[in-house]
Amino acid sequence: MQPAANDDRLKQTGDWLDERTGWRGNWTAVFLRKIPKVSWAYTLGSATLFTLVLQFVTGILLTLYYVPEPQQAYASVTYITNELSFGWLIRGIHHWGASAMVLLAILHMVRVIIYGAYKYPREVTWLTGVGLLLLTFAFGFTGYLLPWDQRAYWATVVGTQIGSVPPVVGGFTKDLMLGGPEISGLTLSRFFGAHVWVLPSLLVALVAIHLFLVVRNGITSPPKRDE
Amino acid sequence: MGADEGPPSTSGVPSGVGADGPDAVDPGRRKFLIATIGAVGGTITAAVGVPAIAFVTGSARTATGEEGWIRLGSVGSIEPGAAPTLVKATIERRTGYLVEEQEVSIFVTTENGQDFVLLSNVCTHLGCRVRWVEAEAGFHCPCHNAMFGRNGEVLAGPPPRPLDRYEYKVEDAQLFFKEA
Repeated sequence: MQPAANDDRLKQTGDWLDERTGWRGNWTAVFLRKIPKVSWAYTLGSATLFTLVLQFVTGILLTLYYVPEPQQAYASVTYITNELSFGWLIRGIHHWGASAMVLLAILHMVRVIIYGAYKYPREVTWLTGVGLLLLTFAFGFTGYLLPWDQRAYWATVVGTQIGSVPPVVGGFTKDLMLGGPEISGLTLSRFFGAHVWVLPSLLVALVAIHLFLVVRNGITSPPKRDE
Repeated sequence: MGADEGPPSTSGVPSGVGADGPDAVDPGRRKFLIATIGAVGGTITAAVGVPAIAFVTGSARTATGEEGWIRLGSVGSIEPGAAPTLVKATIERRTGYLVEEQEVSIFVTTENGQDFVLLSNVCTHLGCRVRWVEAEAGFHCPCHNAMFGRNGEVLAGPPPRPLDRYEYKVEDAQLFFKEA
């Protein structure tokens, strides 16, 4: 087959799709949009998004073997780590990716503060970003319990005790997190449910708004000396 | 910083002008960047994707059952010429970190007390369990109305082959079978 004929067929397929979906306009708006002259610091948001995608992929893979039940949680994690092909890698990426994502999200936020990119008209982008950072922390907190080892168990004891500090509502907040008066199998299953269903749903919605606003408003150019 | 840089709305590009518009960048640079993105992206995808395939197929590739002869029961409990007797044995199956006890049910018949026929009770059509129906002198599968004869041969219905037979041996008046 000749390359020219191939290109032709590809273009025809693209045209056919474009006529029915208008994808070219969106592609241009998202990936071929004009941006000001920027530095590497501007890649931190994309880097955070990249670690998020990695977390999604490795997290979904881990759920194929992980069992959120007290008798099996630790055994299934041990199996993933020590016996399963590339289990150490998939779990390792998820483990270190979690820390990397928190770090990158914070660096991204620092960049936005330093460059003044949170100002008009991008306040809503900033607010959704704050929500995303909090969600990332919640991911870290709920995911930490899932291996169900000593460190996970006691970290959750400490973390939920901190939740009990506020007057009046504190005690109930703690019981709500634990699903009872103390850590049990119910705590494990609700942390798992939060980690793989509740938080990802919220995160995807917020990321969509965040990215839409980034594309809609464009990104800021670095502030100039006389600004 | 040149004066021509600013928010997209003021960059003077009419809407609808794409990548190859009048102010398009050097095509060589553009091609190089696209190729770089493709190469880096492809490498990362492969670095995660290939281990992911090994990971997903892992427990399916390493499941193990019990090896060697497994005791089924005493030969004396099988009467020559009688209706097939359903005999159960418990075997250990290891899948991943789970070691589970599994019950295997085998229909045993003998005509002379010397030679035995050990039939699996799993229908060869789609895996339902068959049971012996004395009135029709055959094994009936409730899922799709299959009938098998006393020695496992297909009498009616969709099964593609007779009931599976287990290899067996008799030792000290005990019946042993091997997992297929």
